[in-house]
Amino acid sequence: MIKLTNASKKYQQGAREVHALKEVSLDIRKGEFLSVMGPSGSGKSTLLNLMGGLDQPSSGEIFIDTRPLHGISDDELTLIRRRRVGFIFQFFNLLPILTAVENVSLPLLLEGTPLSQIKSKAIDLLGQVGLGERIEHRPEQLSGGEMQRVAIARALITSPAVLLADEPTGNLDSHTSEEIFMLLRNLNEEGQTIVMVTHDSRAAAYGTRIITLKDGSLSEDIRLGEH
Amino acid sequence: MDFINLLSHISLKHIRFQKARMFMAVCGICLGVAAMVSIDIVNRSVLKSFEDSINHVTGRAALQVTGADSGFPEQMLDKVRNVPGVEYALPVIETNANLAGGKERSFMILGVDSLQDHQIRNYSLTDKSADIPDPLLFLAKKDSILLTREMAVREGIKIDQEIQVQTVQGIKKFTVRGLLDPEGPAKASGGDIAIMDIYAAQPAFGKEGRIDRIDLSFLPGETLNTMKDRIQSALPEGYYVDTPAGRSRQVEILLTRFRKVIGLIGFMAIFVGMYLIYNAVSISVVQRRKEIGILRALGATRVQIITLFIGEALAVSALASFLGIGLGIVFAKLTVGVVAQSVTDMYLKTSVRELTFSWDFLIKDVGIGIIASFAAAAFPAFAGARITPVSAIRAVPYSEDGFLLNRKTRIASAFFILLSILIFTAYKTAGPSSAFRSSAATFSSMIFLVLGVSLSTPAFLRLFMAGFHRFFSPRMGAGVRLAGLNLQKNISRNAVAVSAVFYSIAMFVSSSSMIYSLNRSFLDYIEAVERCDILVSSGHPLAMGGAPSIPMPEEMWKDIEKVPGVLSADPFRKTFLNYDGRRLFLGAIDIVRSMEYNQYILTAGNRKDIRRLLPHQDNIMVNEGFAARYRIKPGDFLVLPTPNGPIRFGVTAVVVSYVSDSGSIWMDINTYQRHWRDHLADNFAVRVKPNESIPTVREAILDRFGKERKIFALPSREFKGIVRDMLGRSFTLTNAVNIITLIIAGLGIIITLLASVLERTREIGVLRSIGMKRGQVSGVVIIESALLGAAGGVLGSATGVLIGWINLEGFFRLDLGASVQYHIHFVSIGWSLLLSIVFSALAGLYPARRAAKTNIVEALAYE
Repeated sequence: MIKLTNASKKYQQGAREVHALKEVSLDIRKGEFLSVMGPSGSGKSTLLNLMGGLDQPSSGEIFIDTRPLHGISDDELTLIRRRRVGFIFQFFNLLPILTAVENVSLPLLLEGTPLSQIKSKAIDLLGQVGLGERIEHRPEQLSGGEMQRVAIARALITSPAVLLADEPTGNLDSHTSEEIFMLLRNLNEEGQTIVMVTHDSRAAAYGTRIITLKDGSLSEDIRLGEH
Repeated sequence: MDFINLLSHISLKHIRFQKARMFMAVCGICLGVAAMVSIDIVNRSVLKSFEDSINHVTGRAALQVTGADSGFPEQMLDKVRNVPGVEYALPVIETNANLAGGKERSFMILGVDSLQDHQIRNYSLTDKSADIPDPLLFLAKKDSILLTREMAVREGIKIDQEIQVQTVQGIKKFTVRGLLDPEGPAKASGGDIAIMDIYAAQPAFGKEGRIDRIDLSFLPGETLNTMKDRIQSALPEGYYVDTPAGRSRQVEILLTRFRKVIGLIGFMAIFVGMYLIYNAVSISVVQRRKEIGILRALGATRVQIITLFIGEALAVSALASFLGIGLGIVFAKLTVGVVAQSVTDMYLKTSVRELTFSWDFLIKDVGIGIIASFAAAAFPAFAGARITPVSAIRAVPYSEDGFLLNRKTRIASAFFILLSILIFTAYKTAGPSSAFRSSAATFSSMIFLVLGVSLSTPAFLRLFMAGFHRFFSPRMGAGVRLAGLNLQKNISRNAVAVSAVFYSIAMFVSSSSMIYSLNRSFLDYIEAVERCDILVSSGHPLAMGGAPSIPMPEEMWKDIEKVPGVLSADPFRKTFLNYDGRRLFLGAIDIVRSMEYNQYILTAGNRKDIRRLLPHQDNIMVNEGFAARYRIKPGDFLVLPTPNGPIRFGVTAVVVSYVSDSGSIWMDINTYQRHWRDHLADNFAVRVKPNESIPTVREAILDRFGKERKIFALPSREFKGIVRDMLGRSFTLTNAVNIITLIIAGLGIIITLLASVLERTREIGVLRSIGMKRGQVSGVVIIESALLGAAGGVLGSATGVLIGWINLEGFFRLDLGASVQYHIHFVSIGWSLLLSIVFSALAGLYPARRAAKTNIVEALAYE
């Protein structure tokens, strides 16, 4: 499903060169729920950004469903993001001017599909995440947990190959976090591949596999077995 | 489809939810388009009034023969009548007159052949005149006149009433024989017209034996071009045979500089609009940086981001442009009177009665507005598309993002500035016939300079703030230091506000310096060439320039000199010649006497030569603009058309003169009279004897001549005041656009600071939580605003000085001559700096209030 071969990422920070990821090789199978752990600055988010095509590696190769994410044009990468990847961010990243249903529909709106054709699917997804009654609410009218549910529904609307979640509960209370993890686990049980970055070991335990990064390198890879 | 989705689901929501920002952007663009529309309407209305006037007076005449403005011998009429194919050839005198009583309004006198004129012109009389069997026949009586009904009603004149009219012979009495319905010639000159018999008009207006024009029709079967060629070949050089439409074109040529300047103002207006859109989109991109990141992360391509922002700009500008049309019509109504007065002062009498506008040019203006919006939105939209999703989603400080500070922007800035320098250098070094020697070249240079400097605002702001920290910040309190640091942290966004201030101040300083330079040059010139004590004229006080006048007999100087206290009275006569398609000003003076007190400023030639070579000889002086255009120098010869055919004149000197932008020629009045057989004067320069009081002598002149004619006896100071007022009036539109630009800059600052405050809610919350008072918070925002204004003011003043110079070159020095010196108006620079700081601080008041009201708990919970 996702394959990284010696993927590295370097940044220039002022005069200093930062080696955020060092020759990481990784194979993520379809249907896996991978939790990525590690301390701050270990390269977790960088790894997620590379897998999601938000960024490109300085060296090495990355494939998603055998399609390369390296050495391709920005437009090709953008289309992969739009059609094959679903993102869930720590700060939800919803557009404040759009209602819940419009936010969920956004990836397909970018595809050029009229809202009338998307709306029922978006409402269904909102129903699945427990927001069937709040489809016309704007983000400011929703709680943190509700906003993250909208973000999850948005990530699912294109039926992506993989869901990438970057600290999805980092901004939520423990009860709400629990609900979100359960939601993700349910999705995984339905066959959805998920990669989740977290620094919380309890959260990581929801996954079927945990990898740990340290100073940009893969230090540990544990399979927890099926739920 | 995806474009429609983005526009309907994202752009329209932004427009709906950000009403304040959108309202300000719409206001700005609307003002820009309104300025452009009003300028277009005013320009067209003035031209249309001339065109209508010519067409109404022309009647069914297919061709017209014209010569010098002072008229030509009526023998030419026989030559034209003898040309095979000519059906009717009718003489016309077209001159100005004043009603001596009432409102003393000036009007056009049309002197026609009362027996034959009905063959080409229709005269429709009001019912009250119907008992007159043939009113034109009544005109054969020397005291008869026909007025338009409109004029009669306005002035309270009735049929058979005697009226007093200011003529060359002084005030003369005429009897109104009939009133004309507003048809045909009666519609010319906005209805300010009277018809006389030509043989009565000739002596009354000093044109004995001369006529101004021949209107002619030709027999069926003859073609226009054949007839034109035949008539032209029957006449000496210096006579022009043209269609009425051709005469309208000549008026257009005459008004070239007026149209050029008004066109420049129009371009400025649209440039202001473009700048505002650039500003609005730039701010929008900076403010919605995170949204761009989210969209990019979710799969929006760069092209989609670009179309999103350009689409929004186009939607807003389309709405604003349509609103601008309405506002433009209102502006046009308010300004057309002042502009028409300026044209009357400088060129020809015009009275614009109604505004001329048609849908095609209104659509064109909206189209230009929308295309300009597209061009203006493109750069920030492209910059927005370059934002990477990773940097936008993580809360990376703007300074790290630096999308406006990147290398490409710096290269583009340097490229535009270099291009501006290259074009201007080419203009300065090109020969007079080169394509680079044009207003278009200087205009392009100015545009590229503004673009280049605009793109450099982030770099300039960084430099400015570095300087501020080094020299001022250490001596200031914490608030000032904090404000400085805030600005430095958000260079990209704050640079947009600096750009807004920069542009308006640049326009303000450039036009102030340009107007100041012209005022100084014109007034210095008047000071040098009008050193008499009193200027005596009739008709229009600015008769020595392009304004229409009612001349006086040249011999009158003798009578003026008999007035007690008068030392001398020197006649001045002006006329216009057709030279190489231009309407060349010809001034005739008594050169020997004039040189005793006036200081002619020479740019080539010798002062002694003027005194030696000019009197009574076929020699002339030419002005420097004309000399430069035709590469004429002292010692050259010039063949000029005179009513007696072409005459070769020797050029004695090149002189500074600003009386006409088409060029001017000066000769001794005796030489003029010999060739033009015109013994009239447009004014007299009177010197008062030493120890005599100017007001007393002035009163004595008015007493002596006031009963027989209406005259102006203006002391030199009053005359200069009138010139100053006229110059001031001619810049009304420029000043209006400047004010609009300043308002737009203010809107730009409010938008930017408001955006800044909203984005820094959390930071303001932190500052409040650690003990910063509300007053201190608003103080910081106001100081930030003032600093932005200061940066924009400094950059704008420096650029404005350059733009003023570039525009003076292309729009004035090119036509009037290199002696128009550029003077930097330091007063306006001082005001600009002060205004930019104060105005910016005021613009920061509302955002400051918003910042001070920040709720600490909510702010700290802010994402």
